[in-house]
Amino acid sequence: MAVAAPADLAAVLQTGDWAFVLGNWRVLLLGAVVTVVLMATSLTLGFLAGFPAGAVEAYGSGWTKELVSTAGVVLRGTPIVVLIVLFFFGIPVPKLGSVPVVDVRLSAFLAATLALGLRSGAYQSQVFRGAIQSIDEGQLEAARSVGLTHRQAVRHVIFPQAVRRSVPGFQNEFTIVLKDTSVAFAIGLAELLTRAENLYLQPGRDTAIMEVIIVISAVYFVLTFATNRTLDYLGDAFSIPEGSE
Amino acid sequence: MSLLEIEDVDKSYGDEEVLHDVSLAMDQRDVDVIVGPSGSGKSTLLRCVNRLTEVDDGAIYLDGEEIHGMDENDLRRRVGMVFQDFNLFAHRSALGNVTLGLTEVLELSETEAKSRAEEFLGRVGLADQADSYPSQLSGGQKQRVGIARALAMDPDLLLFDEPTSALDPELIGEVLAVMEDLAEGGMTMLCVTHEMGFARSAASTITFLDGGRIVERGPPEQLFETPEKERTRTFLGQLTDLNR
Ligand SMILES: Nc1ncnc2c1ncn2[C@@H]1O[C@H](COP(=O)(O)OP(=O)(O)OP(=O)(O)O)[C@@H](O)[C@H]1O
Ligand SMILES: [Mg+2]
Repeated sequence: MAVAAPADLAAVLQTGDWAFVLGNWRVLLLGAVVTVVLMATSLTLGFLAGFPAGAVEAYGSGWTKELVSTAGVVLRGTPIVVLIVLFFFGIPVPKLGSVPVVDVRLSAFLAATLALGLRSGAYQSQVFRGAIQSIDEGQLEAARSVGLTHRQAVRHVIFPQAVRRSVPGFQNEFTIVLKDTSVAFAIGLAELLTRAENLYLQPGRDTAIMEVIIVISAVYFVLTFATNRTLDYLGDAFSIPEGSE
Repeated sequence: MSLLEIEDVDKSYGDEEVLHDVSLAMDQRDVDVIVGPSGSGKSTLLRCVNRLTEVDDGAIYLDGEEIHGMDENDLRRRVGMVFQDFNLFAHRSALGNVTLGLTEVLELSETEAKSRAEEFLGRVGLADQADSYPSQLSGGQKQRVGIARALAMDPDLLLFDEPTSALDPELIGEVLAVMEDLAEGGMTMLCVTHEMGFARSAASTITFLDGGRIVERGPPEQLFETPEKERTRTFLGQLTDLNR
């Protein structure tokens, strides 16, 4: 069959399963919004937990370090679906009701944020710890040699360089969290994948499975791409100038 | 009273004795050059003076005050250090390298720190490179920023650990010129260097360290012309040949 001419393509999109998917674009758009918001809350929690955790693993000692690294190992070693289900059913979350327009149960959203966020924190901590440890020892010695305290030296000399070196690792982590928001499907959170499934599970719509999945794959791809580009941009904007005079 | 007094210092790493009974005294405005083969403990000795390394035994006095009893940050403010690998803060401009200690340790305002940093960059001939980042500077320029960074803290004593040995030969001169200037200006300097030209022209004393012990110590004329130990003659002779 020859490539469909634009007119034919339009005709195809107006009939059958494609028309069904496109007709439900609002449902999928809301799903995408929930996905992005969940990604944002999870990454924020991940950063708030992971940044200090990485610092503790690099500089801490004693039981604090022990505790942090054990928590990290446990979180990294548990499948994300298990974590989400655990947080949803295992933690007595107060009945919070749901958000009207997007139809999201807050208790599910909270459980998903905790699971995705804490697990991401466990990975982000490793990105950050590795970046800290990759900074040459001489940087700290030079800072101490002008009289900065250890704390000042870490804050003004090590952290600013370590955060920049973390960007590629964070980039990786951001896209992983974005795609893993789909796991919230397991607790019925109305994010993109859950809504997609709800579409093709309607009576007589099982013929639209491929179409629905293709569309949401494209949405995930676009979101991933945009996330990467944003981080590339930030990485460049804050990079240390290089090159010779 | 001596500005710096090192008294019977011992230092070991594990079983390896790196410094053994090292003693020396420096007056204000003295320029002491330390020479010795690789692994003889030169860097370790310098690092003991600003307490990047702690001595095992013996004592070090700065201006009569035992440094062990001092606040280490205060000590380091008073004893500047210049490193072989420069160790410039990679994420800060030349100016930012100099201002960090001024704002954080001396607690100057941003404006004061900036004008003071500019003054010291000017003094090492880098007024026009204030906004350059370390990766944009040549080795010689980097080292001069390193010197300005230490100098701006207004230290009583400057430590130099092989400040020119990571430099291409054609860049060594510009750094030595700055050091000679400082020496003439009366800065007290304890320098590990194998630049014999600098030692001859600027040093008040040369110390030959080998295997963690001081083999011989005296004014340059004595060590170069009439050393007491044959080992000193051989070692300095080799260095002088190398510098040619
Ligand atoms: N932090 C350390 N831990 C263990 N051993 C060390 C440490 N620092 C130095 N040493 C050892 O102490 C000895 C003296 O080292 P030091 O760096 O003081 O020598 P150096 O005279 O400066 O040599 P170089 O000319 O190569 O710089 C060496 O054998 C070195 O391996
Ligand atoms: Mg050395």
